[in-house]
Amino acid sequence: MSNKVEAERSKAAPFIPADTGSAIFLDNPHLDNLMTVVIALGAEIWADRQRMKVVERLLETEGKATTEMIEAYVPTDAEKKAWETERMAMVERVYSVLSRDTSNARPFGEERQF
Amino acid sequence: MINRRSVMGLFAGAASLAAAPFASRAAQPAAPPAGGFWRTRADLPAPPKAPENVPGTLAPRGRNGRMERLPEIDLESRMDFLMSVRTYANRTMSPAAGRRAAAILASKGIAPDTEMPMQEAIAMLENDPMVQARTRAWMSVQQLSWDNLKKECEDNADAYLSEMEAVDQRGPGTLELNPGLKMPDYTRHEIHIQPGGYVGNDFAGHMYDYGTNGFYTGNNEQDALHMTAAFGLPVPADGKIKRILDLGTGVGQLAMALKERFPEAEVWGIDVGGPMVRYAHLRAVERGLDINFAQRLAEDTRFPDNHFDLVTSYIMLHEVSPQGTRDIVNEAYRITRPGGIFYPIDFDLRNPFPSTAYGQYRRWWDHRWNNEVWTIKYRTNGLQDLVRSAGFDLNEEGPVALPRFGVMNATKPA
Repeated sequence: MSNKVEAERSKAAPFIPADTGSAIFLDNPHLDNLMTVVIALGAEIWADRQRMKVVERLLETEGKATTEMIEAYVPTDAEKKAWETERMAMVERVYSVLSRDTSNARPFGEERQF
Repeated sequence: MINRRSVMGLFAGAASLAAAPFASRAAQPAAPPAGGFWRTRADLPAPPKAPENVPGTLAPRGRNGRMERLPEIDLESRMDFLMSVRTYANRTMSPAAGRRAAAILASKGIAPDTEMPMQEAIAMLENDPMVQARTRAWMSVQQLSWDNLKKECEDNADAYLSEMEAVDQRGPGTLELNPGLKMPDYTRHEIHIQPGGYVGNDFAGHMYDYGTNGFYTGNNEQDALHMTAAFGLPVPADGKIKRILDLGTGVGQLAMALKERFPEAEVWGIDVGGPMVRYAHLRAVERGLDINFAQRLAEDTRFPDNHFDLVTSYIMLHEVSPQGTRDIVNEAYRITRPGGIFYPIDFDLRNPFPSTAYGQYRRWWDHRWNNEVWTIKYRTNGLQDLVRSAGFDLNEEGPVALPRFGVMNATKPA
């Protein structure tokens, strides 16, 4: 079982683990790790930005923003759509370099002769 | 860290607020729009009964229609962001990798639409930086999504377990768990690299529900595909629908949608994963849906002969071994009544991805890195012949239960 639940409460059964956890796709394992890091960091930044939006909205409408109010806030459909659009724009802004054409990429200076 | 139990009382109001728009909608579902998915909440019929906080259950941040909101805004935001990166990987990085594949083929004098064996395609493409960057980005999103959900569940294990324990024996509907069930090996893999797979983690249902919501990049948060499928499935020619079975029901999304369409029918959902049907039962109780969930094998359902008017499944068969598939089809024939229908919904076998280099590579990475253990064999297993050999009359032309998926409309001769 993959979780630490006491046996008498668990309904889980033995499973066959995937062998993909340490899969490496790039030239250096740390490059693989860094890809995960930059995506995870993006998620952390967005979480802060999202929280800030809710705080701003609550301050506008309620004049205060407690932890409970932030967690309970239910966005309107229009807000959800706007947030999604902004989130996607942020993703494209931050990660667009990952889609650039690398077919002619080579180490800087490779063709220079001194 | 928010204590889920302590915030339960504080946000009961928010829960009812979130559910309110559903309660006011018409209870009778409309037919789905022709040729498309139901994409928005406004397009969906209201559940027959708005989800509510059953004693002992939790909804600390209320509900978004059919789906309970994740318990913390930060977790919800991180999952939203990962979904957007997944969208970017699919929408932008994948075409970029496809262009690189075409360029690699061109450099070898091979036309881009040339079909080739999988091993040849892998050897040609797997070391290209763009192709691998796309695979890496996708893999990072997948791993981070599961990691976030697993940590939430395991950090609050007692609360989530207590919530399920509170309704295990409660109706409407029933829950049958079989802890000693002998499971075929093919069922025990970590499909989609989900931690523990469908059988090995007590929170498999929780993780599957929110994790696959990301797979659909936001288009299924109201079970839109399942609702479309349920309302698109054919009924027997005599119109009789008294008993329905959803095989490999997972978290019960199709079973619940079928109950919404056929409220008078006896609906069953079975799955090999105990944690999956346990979570499905919890969600059905919260929605007030009278469905029977049981931990059983699709190839050994333990139902009487000729018992069901409709036997169905949603994207189960591509996760099943060839032998398992044969056994399941034969079992489906046994329990479907004469004139009844067996309609397993799954990827379209009539129009598979083209076997071009990049198509083959994508098929391979889905098998290898998404741990879709049986998908390749699903496509070559001759499912149509198995269905006919079992005794069904197979109609592959229609109706289309779910657009873009296969048509497998099998009737047991009367």
